[in-house]
Amino acid sequence: MKNTRRLAMVLGASSLVLGTVTIGVGAVTATAATKFKACVVTDTGGINDHSFNASAWKGLQDAKKKDPKISISYLSSTSSSDYAPNIKTFEGESCNIIITVGFLMDAATAAAAEADPTQKFAIVDDNPLSEAKKSHELEALQYQTNQAAFLGGFLDAAESKTGVVATYGGENFSSVTMYESGFVAGVRYYDMANKAKVKVLGFTPGKGTCTLVSCPGTGTFVGNFTDQTAGRQDTASFIAEGADIVFPVAGSVGLGSVAAVQQAGKGKYVTWVDSNGCVSDAQDCKYFNATVAKGVEPSVANAVESAYAGTFKGGSYIGTLKNNGTQLDINSVAVSAKLRASLASLTRGIESGKISVNPNSYPATPS
Amino acid sequence: MTTAEAPRRTWWTRYTSQSPSLLTFFALVLGFLIGAIVIIATTPAVLDAWRHIFHSPTAIFSALKITWDNVSAAYRSLFVGSIGDPRSFVHSFTTGKGWDTTMTPISETLTYATPLVIASVGVGIAFQTGLFNIGANGQAILGGIVGVWAGSMLHMTSVIHLPLTLVAGVLGGIVGGLIPGILKAYAGAHEVIVTLMLNYIIAFFLLYVVLSTALQQPGQSNDISRTIDHSAILQPLFGTSSGLRVSYGIFVAAAVVIFAWWFLNRSTLGFDFRVTGANPFAARASGINPKAVIILVFVISGGLAGLAGEVQMASTNHYIDGGFLIGNAGIGFTAITVALLGRNRPGGIVWGSLLFAALGVGGRTMQAMTGIPLDLATVIQSIVVLFVATPVLVKEIFHLRTQAQGVQLATKGWGQ
Repeated sequence: MKNTRRLAMVLGASSLVLGTVTIGVGAVTATAATKFKACVVTDTGGINDHSFNASAWKGLQDAKKKDPKISISYLSSTSSSDYAPNIKTFEGESCNIIITVGFLMDAATAAAAEADPTQKFAIVDDNPLSEAKKSHELEALQYQTNQAAFLGGFLDAAESKTGVVATYGGENFSSVTMYESGFVAGVRYYDMANKAKVKVLGFTPGKGTCTLVSCPGTGTFVGNFTDQTAGRQDTASFIAEGADIVFPVAGSVGLGSVAAVQQAGKGKYVTWVDSNGCVSDAQDCKYFNATVAKGVEPSVANAVESAYAGTFKGGSYIGTLKNNGTQLDINSVAVSAKLRASLASLTRGIESGKISVNPNSYPATPS
Repeated sequence: MTTAEAPRRTWWTRYTSQSPSLLTFFALVLGFLIGAIVIIATTPAVLDAWRHIFHSPTAIFSALKITWDNVSAAYRSLFVGSIGDPRSFVHSFTTGKGWDTTMTPISETLTYATPLVIASVGVGIAFQTGLFNIGANGQAILGGIVGVWAGSMLHMTSVIHLPLTLVAGVLGGIVGGLIPGILKAYAGAHEVIVTLMLNYIIAFFLLYVVLSTALQQPGQSNDISRTIDHSAILQPLFGTSSGLRVSYGIFVAAAVVIFAWWFLNRSTLGFDFRVTGANPFAARASGINPKAVIILVFVISGGLAGLAGEVQMASTNHYIDGGFLIGNAGIGFTAITVALLGRNRPGGIVWGSLLFAALGVGGRTMQAMTGIPLDLATVIQSIVVLFVATPVLVKEIFHLRTQAQGVQLATKGWGQ
């Protein structure tokens, strides 16, 4: 009796194993060949980082919503040594377009595009085109965020009751300082146009122009994109120095600013960054006067859709105010018709190139 | 050989809880079974199908089919991603083309397994001596740091540079091993606490190093080191153009395994180690110097961990960054479970590493193909280790025969 039971266990276990092996060896069911596959390799933040990894994934979801024939999938990287194998896995899965996120994935994306010049790639916030000369199917998505930040600076300067606004960054990267540089330019422009004396704390633009490659400047940098306590302390000291609107360019560190503003009481606001604060962080909506948004979602969705439609070209995409690659979203503070009108005319001026977003084009506010 | 010495030892009598490979095999079966339950419980399509059986009883058949489809798709992709697609094997074999693509999964599994084998052998040697080296990850990071330094700051021909970088990695790991070794031998500090805490210190040291001007990649402000010279890279076995990442590092791993086997089974020192692990009092009584053994164990264990970190760096990224071997990428922590799985024996460790590597690499394809998160692979890995560590449970579930001596544990408790 006992032996029979034992025999049954052996048979059970071995049939299970046999089954598994058969699954492996058996014919692999073909995934519907007509389907178009869009795939994203995220950085270590993963698809729930409330920042550009999440935005890139959202962009794929938007594309899928528009055309259900597009199927989407993602792979998160546990470390930088995962970038290359993750891209490779997606190549093996015959993804029609592979999206990579952030300038840390620059080298891995360039190498993969160079090795397989017919594979379509798009990379967010980076430009590896010079390293992957062979590939004509690589699109670099970058964003001229200083244009929208200029409008943000102008708006904050107009809304500030104390005449002091502030900004700080996560790390001294050009993708961060570009926001801050445009912000300072907007405030200086406001001062010049209205003979006002609104001050900016936290960032001093360096000499020269701010480009996607280098955007010099010095100021307050937290040193990472995660330490909310540091963001809270920096914001509290800005408020102590008289600032009433703060523009954090530091990902989730900015949530520390929200906490500081909340504690400081009425009339203090945060200008949010990257993606509309009243959507990505809806419970804190009332503390956001505006958001300087980077159009990761629409540009990623657009890359996917154009690849699907067969119009994908590769090369460099620069998000500007004109193509909605960056924009100012007004959030919780009522904006007068007059201010709206001047923002609209500024937008037209920046689009046409008549108004410079370089802070060095305007006199610095005397302190 | 078995038939010659004992004709009674048939297949059936081997079906006992004494066979480690059998226990591991059953643990694997259980791991996949519980993995299947997790897939069923977390896949919306499957749950929906089962919800329908409340409306019409015949829906049970389609629910069963959907369940089978999802579970089998997941495990199929796990297999395809870690070993390969049988159809492309056939294709490559008949046409002679496409070997690069066909071999990519195996190449990835081997790439992942290579540093893991080295680190696990290091941890296993310490375990066999009755010492817990929980700091293998920190030692591996130190190996990577010193390796990057030697690989990027010194410039010479590959014949000298490559071995020199490997030795540099070993030295880095030895430094990380000596600290807890000396503290244990002369101050009586518990090695688990010291090695565990050193991991944190070394992780922050890594951050300091990659942000310091000496080692930071010039022209970058983020936490990334210089790239090592071409002459210090462990080159891919089949050339860069093949796209297969498996590198000459597997020969380093093979050498380590052979060394460890010889050391533990054939050398006097290795015998001293094992005696100390089996019974420290008997070891002392028979004239073995316990202090020397403790320090030497940590030198060897740390050195191997350091070598693992250096091989990882020199065969994949060729640089280190602030996230080098941090968090889920920490091979030094995986090495502890792999050593346990392989019962601290070099041969067992090779199989354990290959299994863990296959699950980790296949999990990636599983997520890409089926959308089931690669964390499922971690679930299966954990369950396998759980059951290997509790042989009594496996014995009961599968009604394995017990032998008189009872079940032998792979490791003993804390300390002595």
